[in-house]
Amino acid sequence: MNDEQSRTRFKTLLLPLMSDAYNLARWLMKNQEDAEDTVQESYLRAFRFFGSFHEGTNCRAWFLRVVRNTCYTALGSRDVKDKQVSLDSEADEIEDSAPLPPVSLAKKATVEAVREAVAALPVDFREVVVLRELQGLSYKEISDVSGVPLGTVMSRLARARHLLYLILSDRKQREEL
Amino acid sequence: MNCQECHEYIDAYIDNELDVAAAIVVKQHLRDCAKCQQLLESRKVVVALLKNPEISFEVPDALFGKIQSVLPAVRSDVKRRWGGRFFMPWFAVPLALAATIAVMLGLVFLNPGGMFDRSRGNALAQDVISSHVRSLLATHLLDVPSTDQHTVKPWFDGKIKFSPPIRDFADQGFRLIGGRLDYINGREVAALVYQRRLHIINLFIWPLESSRNTAAESFAKDGYNVLHWDRDGFEFWAVSDVSAEDLKAFAGLEMQQS
Repeated sequence: MNDEQSRTRFKTLLLPLMSDAYNLARWLMKNQEDAEDTVQESYLRAFRFFGSFHEGTNCRAWFLRVVRNTCYTALGSRDVKDKQVSLDSEADEIEDSAPLPPVSLAKKATVEAVREAVAALPVDFREVVVLRELQGLSYKEISDVSGVPLGTVMSRLARARHLLYLILSDRKQREEL
Repeated sequence: MNCQECHEYIDAYIDNELDVAAAIVVKQHLRDCAKCQQLLESRKVVVALLKNPEISFEVPDALFGKIQSVLPAVRSDVKRRWGGRFFMPWFAVPLALAATIAVMLGLVFLNPGGMFDRSRGNALAQDVISSHVRSLLATHLLDVPSTDQHTVKPWFDGKIKFSPPIRDFADQGFRLIGGRLDYINGREVAALVYQRRLHIINLFIWPLESSRNTAAESFAKDGYNVLHWDRDGFEFWAVSDVSAEDLKAFAGLEMQQS
């Protein structure tokens, strides 16, 4: 494949992924400006490493991995703090014993409330939620994008959903009081 | 299956990520366990809420253009289409050649005095932009990655015949991240690389024959801003995709104290 063909190929494959890329970056970076910057940087990186992309493999997962890593690099230099906010390790146990708030509470959450709840998640969990719920990736694809084993994808998603549920019902409860 | 195991698999169950056998076991447990059923309901609520397409963000209109402009080589579909599908009639080739020669002759003979001066700036600006883009595309941004001016400066010694002024403006938001050798307008030049947020600024420096000082002159092209100034016997060209104001602020810092 010559340069010209490879550029055209790059364009055909990757430009249509801009919305996915932007959304992942927007959720990870939490603001529009940084998201735009990281998406731009991701396209440059992807262009540079396009040689390492193998035809026939999952292009979307490949590119989202580039976007994800670009975001983490940027986050690392921006505020490591945000990345390190992590849940108490007892979160899993709480899940077993504490009774869940009634379904009716969370059910009425508005778009704004859902967005805020997602944004409030630690970045590892936010990433899994965005890839799974907003972008519809399979567990295998998520594992490829974030570079963690399938089991970790599963447990992060479980904890993320559980947290979202708690945040949303708690908010509704406070609003109704 | 006990509740603990059910909790472990319940998400994969909802997402159809379990094999049939495992899914059946989870389903059986759910039928018999009210507590796990409640958990299932809570999960389904979250999944349903996130299904709403309004949760996702719209791509800002300007982003597409920005990305096209940082990938200059990718904007080649026009050329490709012409090369592939457009047939020139047999007489067009000599005609086009004749026209080109006529224009060139016209430029040589009719060129008004100042024109080459102005076009020198434009041509250099173009050169500088190409160099900037190349540095970003070719994994060759830095020969000497260092945020320390006292590391970068000696690195240039012996590689080029001059010693470029090097300073770090990290405190003002322009962090020196390194330097490399580059080639512009037929000569070796020093390229200093600065970072502004996620943007890269290339500052090209080479010595002047005279020691004139000129005020900054700006160019904008393809989404890049270019600033040129002369100071203390050096010619400076700064190029980046940061805003024109940011680039001016950067040049201002460089032009200040030595």
